[in-house]
Amino acid sequence: MKIISNLLEGIEGIRIFYIFGLLLFFSLFIIILIRTLRRSNKEMDEIKKSILTDDDSNETAVS
Amino acid sequence: MENQKFYYDNKIVKLFVLATIIWGVVGVIVGLLIALQLAFPVFNFDFEYTTFGRMRPLHTNAIIFAFVGNAIFAGVYYSLQKLLKARMFNDVLSKIHFWGWQLIIVLAAVTFALGISTSKEYAELEWPIDILITLVWVVFGWNMIGTIVKRRVQHIYAAIWWYLATFLGVAMLHVVNSLELPISLTKSYSIYAGAQDAVVQWWYGHNAVAFFLTTPFLGLMYYYLPKAANRPIYSYKLSIIHFWSLIFLYMWAGPHHLLYQALPDWAQALGVTFSIMLIAPSWGGMINGLLTLRGAWDRVRDNASLKFMVVAVTAYGMSTFEGPMMSLKFVNQLTHFTDWTIAHVHIAGMGWNAGLVFGMLYWMIPKLFRTKLFSEKLANLHFWIATLAILIYAIPLYWAAVTQWLMWHEYTAEGFLAYPNFLETLTQILPMYTVRIIGGTLFLIGFLIMVYNLFKTMKSGSVEDNELAEAPALVIQGRRNPLQETVHRWVERRGVRFSIWVFIVLAIGGAAEILPMIFIKSNIPTIESVLPYTPLELEGRDIYVSEGCHTCHSQVVRPFRWETDRYGEYSKIGEFVYDHPYQWGSRRTGPDLARAGYVGGPMYKNAAWHYNHFKNPQKMNEQSIMPKYDWFARKDVDLSMTPKKIRAMQILGVPYPEGYDEVAVDDYMKQAKEIVADLKKSNIDIEPTKEMVAMIAYMHKLGGDIAPLQLDEGTKEPAPQKEITLLSGVEDMGDADEVFTKICAACHGPSGKGIATFPDLTDAQWINGNSPSDVYYSIRNGNAVKGMIPYKDQLSDKQIIQLTSYILLKLNK
Ligand code: HEC
Ligand code: HEC
Repeated sequence: MKIISNLLEGIEGIRIFYIFGLLLFFSLFIIILIRTLRRSNKEMDEIKKSILTDDDSNETAVS
Repeated sequence: MENQKFYYDNKIVKLFVLATIIWGVVGVIVGLLIALQLAFPVFNFDFEYTTFGRMRPLHTNAIIFAFVGNAIFAGVYYSLQKLLKARMFNDVLSKIHFWGWQLIIVLAAVTFALGISTSKEYAELEWPIDILITLVWVVFGWNMIGTIVKRRVQHIYAAIWWYLATFLGVAMLHVVNSLELPISLTKSYSIYAGAQDAVVQWWYGHNAVAFFLTTPFLGLMYYYLPKAANRPIYSYKLSIIHFWSLIFLYMWAGPHHLLYQALPDWAQALGVTFSIMLIAPSWGGMINGLLTLRGAWDRVRDNASLKFMVVAVTAYGMSTFEGPMMSLKFVNQLTHFTDWTIAHVHIAGMGWNAGLVFGMLYWMIPKLFRTKLFSEKLANLHFWIATLAILIYAIPLYWAAVTQWLMWHEYTAEGFLAYPNFLETLTQILPMYTVRIIGGTLFLIGFLIMVYNLFKTMKSGSVEDNELAEAPALVIQGRRNPLQETVHRWVERRGVRFSIWVFIVLAIGGAAEILPMIFIKSNIPTIESVLPYTPLELEGRDIYVSEGCHTCHSQVVRPFRWETDRYGEYSKIGEFVYDHPYQWGSRRTGPDLARAGYVGGPMYKNAAWHYNHFKNPQKMNEQSIMPKYDWFARKDVDLSMTPKKIRAMQILGVPYPEGYDEVAVDDYMKQAKEIVADLKKSNIDIEPTKEMVAMIAYMHKLGGDIAPLQLDEGTKEPAPQKEITLLSGVEDMGDADEVFTKICAACHGPSGKGIATFPDLTDAQWINGNSPSDVYYSIRNGNAVKGMIPYKDQLSDKQIIQLTSYILLKLNK
């Protein structure tokens, strides 16, 4: 259904918002990606395990 | 470092758990009720408070906000305290949150049954409750962020990022979508109109799925899955990347519903691209979840909690693949308006959401009550029943969707719709609706088994309302030290700052969607012939909104030949400029009504027909599943509200003349009396103030403004005489009989004796004469104003001759 399409096509400058948003997304994504990949695995492991070391994380009560 | 003593608040968790269980049962039972109603309309009980249109929002809201909502809060309040090694920020806030939320749910149930509804899907609640939701939501966020601030650990674990995104996302969506102008305590008008309202609504609708049914559940998954499996999450790096990309992409891709319908081609393409891209972060989550169980599958085998989580994560993967596929244009043609959507949401709802909740409860309740699960066997039984139930629920609906869609756009060799009567395409899929009931029943049985199992478990243990724990205080770290810390680490160490980042990311996507909608308003071309609703039509429309007719009827004709042939001219954006709120609907359980008032179109029905149909749809069409609305003939419209409504419309920009509110009631009565007089001709007596009159006026308004209105008899071609050879063959009679029962019986009755005031074709009285040529032209050209449809556009010449023969030779011997 194109009933609104024709209308938005006529709005000037609206495309800019999308292009800007897209650029922003990709640059953000790349920064986060690089930063994340460069973090040390040891640190990651510590965080991962940290949630298992509190008092109730020994075997599940069921089984 | 010295340890600090503190207490976990377990009582609040227990309360939310109990609420989850109770509302879950209620939500599923109401779901079962509406499934029954669709297969067997007697289950509407001829009682206005329990009709389908009012019960469906009750079901969706009970499941989403009561069952899933309380489960989220239970899961968050439990895990947040443990992850941050801190009690919830403030006990009073916790209590306000809990009781406030339950109050909202009770108010929702009562108001829906009473027919108080804004009709915007998943946001049907009226404005006072909307305000209450905002307040309670802020309390939740405040409590959560407060806890983060006073935490005793450095790092904010991944689960909590998702909780924060949930809080911020929902707050944004709810406020923007709920802007409405109150008329009274129980009635308001959306400030958006028509297409603009649709855009906002679907921006909300889709992102509500994202931020109420996805992000909090990913958070829960990141905590409860590793806990239940007793293994760390597979990849923490993956969780970071998938978090940021998911929350960013969702806001953009959300309204593929509306992208398909409402944006320029390049923006549609962008939306579809984003939807497809969304598969990546979604599957990132699924993979991270499933790989966590790597090497632990033996444990999955005999642990119901883990099994439910595996099904949940798998269902998540399936739905997040199916969703993007459904946003492809050619697929959307099929899935939109059919049961495909219903199947899709139930895979996600019953599999992903309910599955994870079940898994979480089976793990958490024994922990909370410091005991063992009463019966692992029963839990496994629940698992198998629930899994089977999902399949039995979804498969028939996919089948129904494909069947109905194929029937909707099938043409005969002569170029006419093969199934011009909508009801036929519905009757065909009713058996699937019966099978669905079995699926729903099984799901309920499984649920009840769980309830029994969990209550037994609770009985055998006890909760320590305030559980003692110890942890060293958090040492506030100084400024960022770039040598040792990555930016992300530094950002997330500070909860508030992290929230701001999340908000910015969400806002960019939100703005990208909201902006076009702001532009839309000033750019909608008005159609000169489209006039504001008269007071009578406006009141009729408000009844339509309040009854939730949109749960079964759409009001927008798409520009496909198979839609325009069936309903009439396709919809134009300018037709909706006075619609507060819009009523496009999302499922066609009944036919589209956008052209119900288009005289001479295939959908037009006269006042007497509507009167009889509302009183008893099954009398007009035995197989109809529309509920009876016989109270329309008994209940009066509250005319004291009418001037207020007109003034509100003026504020919203509807161009009624200055001071029109003072004469609105006079106009109302004038138009109502015309309809009363019309009904009188068919020997129907009714007072002009009845709801029925307003509803008929509204039905006749739909599409009426763009109809080439030629009410004078001039529309009827003076019937020329035509040589007609009657066809008396067995085959011809058989064909005619079939068409007659399918199409004509709705007015003329199955044996042609006429229903209510529609002409008896079996007696000796003829309006237009009984020569073969007369009858032929009666069918061919109809009499649009009187309610006889001109069938020349829907039936072939041969079929019309067959019908003529059938009437003259068989019915009127
Ligand atoms: C449970 C779903 C359901 C609900 C709720 C429902 N309808 Fe229907 N409606 C149908 C079905 C199915 C048909 C087609 C069979 C028939 O004509 O009864 C139909 C037919 C109609 C028709 C006749 C269309 C035509 O020209 O063939 C009108 C008008 C109508 N409904 C109006 C309403 C209004 C107004 C409401 C709300 C007060 C409503 N319906 C609520 C299912 C529903
Ligand atoms: C929506 C209701 C409706 C449906 C469906 C309908 N009709 Fe009619 N029909 C009417 C009405 C109303 C009249 C009376 C028109 C008039 O007053 O001129 C009528 C009149 C007629 C007449 C002329 C009767 C006379 O006394 O001269 C014939 C013949 C007829 N219909 C045949 C059919 C056939 C065949 C079908 C199915 C293809 C059909 N109708 C479907 C409402 C309907």
